[in-house]
Amino acid sequence: MSELTPKALPLATRIGKPWASLLAWRAQWLAIDKNPNAIGFAASKRGATLLWLTFCAVVALSGQVSPANQALAGAAILLVIHFPLRRIEIVTVASLVFFLARPFRIEQWRMLTDDLASTLQLPVPFEIAGDLLRFAGAVLFVVFAGAFLAYMRKVPVSLAARRPLLTLLLAWFAVFLSALIVPAGGWAAAALWTMTGIGISSVWMLAYAAADQKSGVAVPTYARASMARPFWGGGAEGIGKSWGYLSKFDARTPETLGATRLKALKLAVWALVLTGVWQGAELVFRRWFGLASIDGAVLAHAAGQNAGLIHSWASLVTSYLIDLLIIAVWGHLIVATVRMLGWSIPRNTRNPLASRTLAEFWNRYFFYFKEMLVDFFFYPAFVRWFKKSPRLRIAFATFCAAGAGNLLFHVMRETHVFASLGVMEALAVFQSALFYSIALATGLIISQLRGVKLSPDMGFWRWHVLPRFNVFMFFCFLKIFDDLSGNGTFVERAAFALSLLGV
Amino acid sequence: MTSSPSLRDFITSKLAERGQRLVGDHDSLFTSGRLDSLAAVEVMMILEGTLGLDLSDADFDIAKLDTLAELDALVASLNKAA
Repeated sequence: MSELTPKALPLATRIGKPWASLLAWRAQWLAIDKNPNAIGFAASKRGATLLWLTFCAVVALSGQVSPANQALAGAAILLVIHFPLRRIEIVTVASLVFFLARPFRIEQWRMLTDDLASTLQLPVPFEIAGDLLRFAGAVLFVVFAGAFLAYMRKVPVSLAARRPLLTLLLAWFAVFLSALIVPAGGWAAAALWTMTGIGISSVWMLAYAAADQKSGVAVPTYARASMARPFWGGGAEGIGKSWGYLSKFDARTPETLGATRLKALKLAVWALVLTGVWQGAELVFRRWFGLASIDGAVLAHAAGQNAGLIHSWASLVTSYLIDLLIIAVWGHLIVATVRMLGWSIPRNTRNPLASRTLAEFWNRYFFYFKEMLVDFFFYPAFVRWFKKSPRLRIAFATFCAAGAGNLLFHVMRETHVFASLGVMEALAVFQSALFYSIALATGLIISQLRGVKLSPDMGFWRWHVLPRFNVFMFFCFLKIFDDLSGNGTFVERAAFALSLLGV
Repeated sequence: MTSSPSLRDFITSKLAERGQRLVGDHDSLFTSGRLDSLAAVEVMMILEGTLGLDLSDADFDIAKLDTLAELDALVASLNKAA
C-alpha cells in the first residue's frame, strides 16, 4: 500500500521522495472510504469504536464544540454503534436532552431570557431563574410540537395538515405580537418572549417534520417531533432536515455503513485542518498585518479614519475568506456527526470558490440554508404563481426564496432586538439585511435568466478564471451588507463599498 | 422503463454538465445536491408541459420527484390514468 503509484514516481524525482511519500499518503487517506479493508474494519464493532474514539479526539482538538455537546454527541454515537436497531430512540432521547438544555440557536435569546428572569424576582439567582424559564418553555414547546403533529395526522383536512408551515408561522407571529403588546417586566412578557425565541429556533425544522409526516416515512410522532432540534446542532435552517430526508442517505449494508463512518472521520479531519487554516489566517491577517474585520473597516471608515484602498480591500477579502472557513468548519463538524450515525448526507459547504455562477455558489456555500429556502419558498411559489410566463415564474420564485424568505428567516431569528428597542428602532437594525436580500435575489434572478452556458471550450480564462472571479467579487461585495447587528448603518456600509471603488 | 425518455435524457445531460456520472434509479438527484434547484425547475416544467401534471395540486408531494424510479412511477401512473 505504501508503494508509490506510477503517476507519483516522476514527482518523487522532481520534488524529492519525502514530499512524494506525503502526497501518496494523502491520496490513500482521501481514498480510505473506498478501501475494502478499511471499510470492513469500520463496519465492525471494534473498528467503529476505534473510529468513534478518533472522531471524538478530532472534534475535541478542533475546539469548536462545547464539552457538554461533545459528551452528548459522543455518547449518542457510541450507543448507535452498539445498538444500531435502537437508533431512532437514541437520537430522539439525545435530541430531547439537547433541546431542553439549549432551546435557543443563538446566544442573544439566552441573554434576553436571563434579563427577563431577573425581573421576576424569584427566590433564586437570576441565571437559575433563566434556566428554569427556558426549561419550562422548552417543555411546553415539546408538548406543542407533539400535539401539532398528532393533530395534523388526526385531521388531514385542517389548515395545519394542508399548510403546516403557514400554520406554524401564523402561530409564531401571534406569540411574537403578543410579546410586543404585553407590558414589560412581568410573567406574561417573560413567558411570551421565551416562547418567541424557542419557537423561532425550531419552527423551520418542525415544518420539515410536518412535511415529513405527509411523506409517509414510518417514524413515531415523538421521534419526528424531536427533529425540531436534533442533537447535532446547527442553525434554525436544519442540517439533516427530517427522518425522511435522512432515510434517503441511510447506510443499509455493512459496507456502506463502514464507508459512511470513514467519510465522517475524513470530514471531521478536514474540519480540523480548516480550523488550523482559519486560526492561522486570523493570526497573520488580523494580528500581524492589523487588518480589520468588515464591521471594523466599515466603522473606521464611517469615523473618518482612512485606512487606504489596499488596506480596505485586504480587510474585505480576508474577512470574506475567513467567513467561508468558519461556515465550512461549522457545517463539516455537524455533517460529520450525522454521518457517524450512519446517514451519508451531503456536505453543507463544498468548495464554494469553485462556483462559476451565483446559483452554484449558493448551492455550494450553505447547502442546507439554500435547501430550506427552496423547499419552503421557491417551490411553493413556483408551482402556484405565473405559470404561463416561465421567466417571470422563475424570477418571482427566486425572489420569494432568496429575497423575501431569506430576509424573513433572519429577521425572525433576531426578533430579540424588539424586546429591548422600540419597533422602528428595531426595524432599522435590519436595513442592511434588507439591501442584502434584495441584491442577492436580483443577482440570482439575473444569473438564472441569462442562463449563460459555460464550457471548457471557452478557454482557460473564460472557463476557469473569469466566472469564478465574478462570483467571488459579487459575494465579497455583498458581504459588506451581511449584517444583523445594527453596527454600521446601511449608508455607512454603502459608503465603505463605494470607497473601495474609489468613489 | 421507457415511459419518460425525455426526462431521462434531460437528467443525464444535466448530470454530465456537472461532471456527474449517471446515477442508479433509486439514487437521490436533487436532495443529494447532484442537481440543483434550477434543474429541478426544468424537470417540473417538463412534467407540466409534456405530461400535463398539475404540480400545484394539494396532494402532490414535490419530494417524490427525487429519483429516476420516482419519476418513472409518476409517469407510469399518469399513463395508467389516461
